[in-house]
Order: sequence, then structure tokens, then C-alpha cells
Amino acid sequence: MNSAIELLAPRYDIAWYPWAVQYFFLIALSYATLWLAAPALVFGKQRWLPTARLALLACLTTTLVAPVALLADLHQPLRFWHFYAFANSHSWMSIGSLVLPLYVAGVIVLAWLAWRPALQASRQLPGVAGLLARWLSLGDGPTPRVLVALVGLGTLALSTGIMLYTGAEVAIVKGRPLWNTVWLPPMFVATGFIAACGLILVLDRIGGRRDSIVTGQVLKVMLGACLVAGLVAGSWFLDGVNANVGSVAAAIESVRGSAEWRSTALWGGLTGVVLFGAVLYLLTRPVSRRPALYAWAWTLGLVALHVGWMFRWVVLMDVQTVARHSAGFHHYGIPAGSSGILGIVGTFGLWLAAILLVDLFLPWRQARQGGAAADISLTEPASFDVEGAPSHG
Amino acid sequence: MDSIRRSLLGQLARLSAGAALVPIASLASAGINDQPPRREGDSSKRYGMLIDLRQCIGCQACTVACHIENAAPLGSFRTTVSQYEVQHQESGEVATFMLPRLCNHCENPPCIPVCPVEATFQRQDGIVVVDSDRCVGCAYCVNACPYDARFINERTQTADKCTFCAHRLEAGLLPACVESCVGGARIIGDMRDPESQISRMLDEYRDELMVLQPEKNTLPQVFYLGMDERFVTRPDAEPVALEVLDPHGKEMGYEFRH
Repeated sequence: MNSAIELLAPRYDIAWYPWAVQYFFLIALSYATLWLAAPALVFGKQRWLPTARLALLACLTTTLVAPVALLADLHQPLRFWHFYAFANSHSWMSIGSLVLPLYVAGVIVLAWLAWRPALQASRQLPGVAGLLARWLSLGDGPTPRVLVALVGLGTLALSTGIMLYTGAEVAIVKGRPLWNTVWLPPMFVATGFIAACGLILVLDRIGGRRDSIVTGQVLKVMLGACLVAGLVAGSWFLDGVNANVGSVAAAIESVRGSAEWRSTALWGGLTGVVLFGAVLYLLTRPVSRRPALYAWAWTLGLVALHVGWMFRWVVLMDVQTVARHSAGFHHYGIPAGSSGILGIVGTFGLWLAAILLVDLFLPWRQARQGGAAADISLTEPASFDVEGAPSHG
Repeated sequence: MDSIRRSLLGQLARLSAGAALVPIASLASAGINDQPPRREGDSSKRYGMLIDLRQCIGCQACTVACHIENAAPLGSFRTTVSQYEVQHQESGEVATFMLPRLCNHCENPPCIPVCPVEATFQRQDGIVVVDSDRCVGCAYCVNACPYDARFINERTQTADKCTFCAHRLEAGLLPACVESCVGGARIIGDMRDPESQISRMLDEYRDELMVLQPEKNTLPQVFYLGMDERFVTRPDAEPVALEVLDPHGKEMGYEFRH
């Protein structure tokens, strides 16, 4: 065996920018929160209504902001209409460009249907909230519950299209062996659910409800998502550990060859295990101790959001720095401008603005349940009336 | 990388070079990620390139000529020559290995089905091109190419790549890299014409030719003669061009460890 030194090779820049991470993160939050809203909104489970209200707020805002990040990742964003003028049915990205607008429309219509009775009830309010309510409620006609459920079902179906295309789009790329595995799409979905549960815990805390039923439900889903993520990661590893080529071989090569990849792998593994352990701990405490412990569940929510975002960062950004036909790794420093830090901060800023605007002007706390549930008061729970400023403490 | 894997890959490389020479009528079908139909170009031709590494001296004349001909932005290359210092572990002898790289104009190009707007397509003569008026700059093709043959041109903000200098071929000229090669290492031609130099050389050296990353099943149409099978896949080499960063993490230049 000879030893070789690479004397001369160009440096290859990354082709997908952090915008891609933002899109994959937000759209995963979007579809996962839709599924968390579904038990009450679509299937009429009244116990899930408080969770569904928070989830619908998260779902609508992430759904509105995610496509902005996606558009920004194009080097020619004004040519987005080419996706429709020259659609290519051979490309997963093209399929995604057809599914995404339908999904976005589905989520908007679903939120409108769920909020419409409350909008109709808010028409007498003074100021912008009343004005918006008069515009958006579109008349006095009834909003059949079954319509909420039907639109919800359709949007859930479209959301599986989003899960499939976002995963497949990356997983079919043979040119990047680390991506080229069937285990990547389910891992995107599992980490998406972990992050979405985290987001609801954080929103529950910031929104001032601190509802222990919501916390309990969301923690259970998070535990399940952690288990699935662990199973998927384990299957991915066992599936490829003996192969000379492929995703796992490339991962082992990277971990062997780079201290940064070693610390990334260690950090990812540890965070996952700690999160799973902490959620399990919270869920198995005696009922009497739960309220005190659940008050801190939002910190786990932040960890869960970190897991969801970092997984996408490592997969989409770090993998692009692994040289694929030259030696070693390419250097990538996050630029300060719009293709880097400004883009990341800007996307989150836009998202925050969307949440605040909805919170200020739309009656998301009174979202009505769909399905065949018995009628419930619009102002339920009683402590949250339309006019009163919610406690953000 | 262990030697068994290396020799397996080497055999695979030879086999695949052979397979790639078998004309495939059409890989097109309707499924997702299958090849869309080819369009434009002369269907009676199939361009390919043979690079005789025994003749390459690593002078980078091709790199420079291509850069001038195709006006690529500084730091982006449609073709370049990677260079490796190889040391024999027993004898300690040192030699330089040169590896010219460019788009392989694959028979099964992974960059084409991914394009969401069919801006990149394969002509009927096998040349893979990009319609930069249609390209949306999503960079999916850049990620899909295992050979790093594509880049986003910072001036046009669209995908850019080697076209075998199709504009020169159409004018009856040789591509800039072929024209400028001092050793005559690059041979381009119509592989459907049995009398062309490339066809004759493909016949003559069929068993010795190798292609890059054959395990990706891309069926590259750039064939290497005098190739070392250890460089067919990602080279197991020590990278020495290290970025030197200033205290703020900004790049200042390069240094060599050796």
C-alpha cells in the first residue's frame, strides 16, 4: 500500500445554503404540528383541544414562513414560476413544488375554518382585531364541523406528501453517500415530531397556559418520536455497518477522519439519550409531583427544538463539507450575510413576527374542534376570554 | 481503505468501463428519478473523451484554456487537474499522479432527472448541457453530481459545467482543453464512428480503461488510460491544502503541512 498526499485540488463550495436547513426545519414543524392538531381538529377528541389550538398556531405560522426560506435558497428566486411552466415529473423537487402550494393552501383553509366561529364572535371588537374579524369571517354562515374534519383529512394526506418528498429529495442523491439511505426520510419525520412537541411545550409556557394535560400529551408523543428516532438510527447503523460503501461507511469514514465529526456524533447521541431519559423520567413520576416537574418541561422543549434543527444542520450543511472525490473535508464558515447568519436569524424573525401577529389579532385560543364532537362553548376554557390580554408570565 | 476493497473496486471499474461502452439505446422511462428523454444535438453521434494519463504532465494548460474559453468565475472550474504525491511504502520512491477531471457526460447522468425544470438535459449526442435561461439555481444538480463537475456560477447565478465545448465542436474545432493539451493526453471524438481516434483507442485499450466512481452506476463517458485503481473512488489521501484562518475565522490563504 502506498501513501498519498493531495497536492492540488479545487475547493468546492456548498451548494445548498442554511436557507435549506430553515426550510426543512420549518416544514417539519409544520407537518408534525398538523398531526398534533389532528386528534381534536379532525377526529374530534376533545381532550386534545388545548394541544390542538397551540399546534394549529405553530402549524399555520411555520407553514407560512417555510416557503419563504425555500424560495430564498434558489439562486434565481424570481424564476420560481419555471417550476410550473417547465415541471419535470422525473424530479422529486418538481413533485414537491406541486405538493407544497396545495399543502400550504390546505393549512390556511383549515386554520380559517377552525377559527371562523371565533372570528364571527369577535366582529364587535374595537381596533384591528375587530376589523380583521369582520373581513376574515366572510359572513354569518355556519361552519360545519364536518368540513373542518374533511379539510383536515385532505391536508393530512398532503402532509404525508411533504414528508415523502422532502425525505426522498435528499435520500436519492447518490453523489452524497451520507444522504443516500432509505433511513433518512423516516429520521427527518421522527426528529420533526420531536421538535414539534418541543415547540408546543415552549408555546404552552410562553402563552401562559402551562396546561399539564397538554404537557402530558405532548411528552408522550415526544417519547414515542424519540423511540422511533432511536430505532431508525439503530437500523440505519446495523443495516450498513458491514458494508464497504454506502451511508454508514461514509459516516464511519467521516467520524474517523475528523475531530469535528466525532464531536458532532457524540453530541447528537448524548442529546438524544438525555432527552429520551428526561422525558421518560417526567412521565413516570407520581401524579402528585407532576405539576411541579411539568412546569419545567419547556426546557426539554428547547432541547427538542435543538435536536430537530441540529439534525437538519448536520445532514444538510455538514454533509456538504465532506469531500466526495477529493481528499478530506472542505472548510465552511457561515457567512454573515443573507446566505448565512442573516438568513437564519431573518427566517426566525419572520416566524416570530407571524406568531405575534396571529396572537395579537386572531382568536387562535378559541379554535373550534372539528369532527363529530359535542358542541362546546366558543370561549372555552372560561379563563381565556376574547378581550382579556393573556398572561405571558 | 483495505486492499481487498481496492482491488474489488478496480475490477468493478474495468467492468463498468466495459459496460459503459455498450451503447444503451435509451434509459428513459417515466418513473421518478429516471432519465427524461434526450433532446437536441445530433443523434448519429455520441461524444466521449479518453484521457491518456501516461501523457499528462500536470501543466494545467487545460485548466487555463478552459477558464479563458468559458469565462468561468475565479475559483470555479469546469475542468482541472488534481495532483497527488504518491510514495511507495516499501521503496520510499515518490511520484506525482495527475488526474484531469471534468464532467463525465455520463450515460446515466444523476444530475439530469433531479432538475425540477428540465433546464439541464442530455443532448442526443450525449453531451450534458444547462439552459441557463431556464435554470432556477436550486443547485440540486450540483449536489447530485458525484464528480463535483458542477458549480453555481456566481455571475449568472445558475448551474455551470463542462459542455465538451459544444460551441467549438459545432464549429469544427476541438474543445479548449483538448486543443491546449501539450502531451495530447485528451482525445475527444464520436464513439459511434468506428474510424474515429477515440473509437480505435477504446477498442485497443478496452481492458485497461477505467472510469471514475463506477459503483455509482452513472456510466461515465470519460475513460482513463494508465489509471491507478486507487484513484477511481475518493482518493485515500492526506489533504494538505489547509486554509489558514485569521482570529476572526476568515480565510487568509493556504499552507502546506509538508
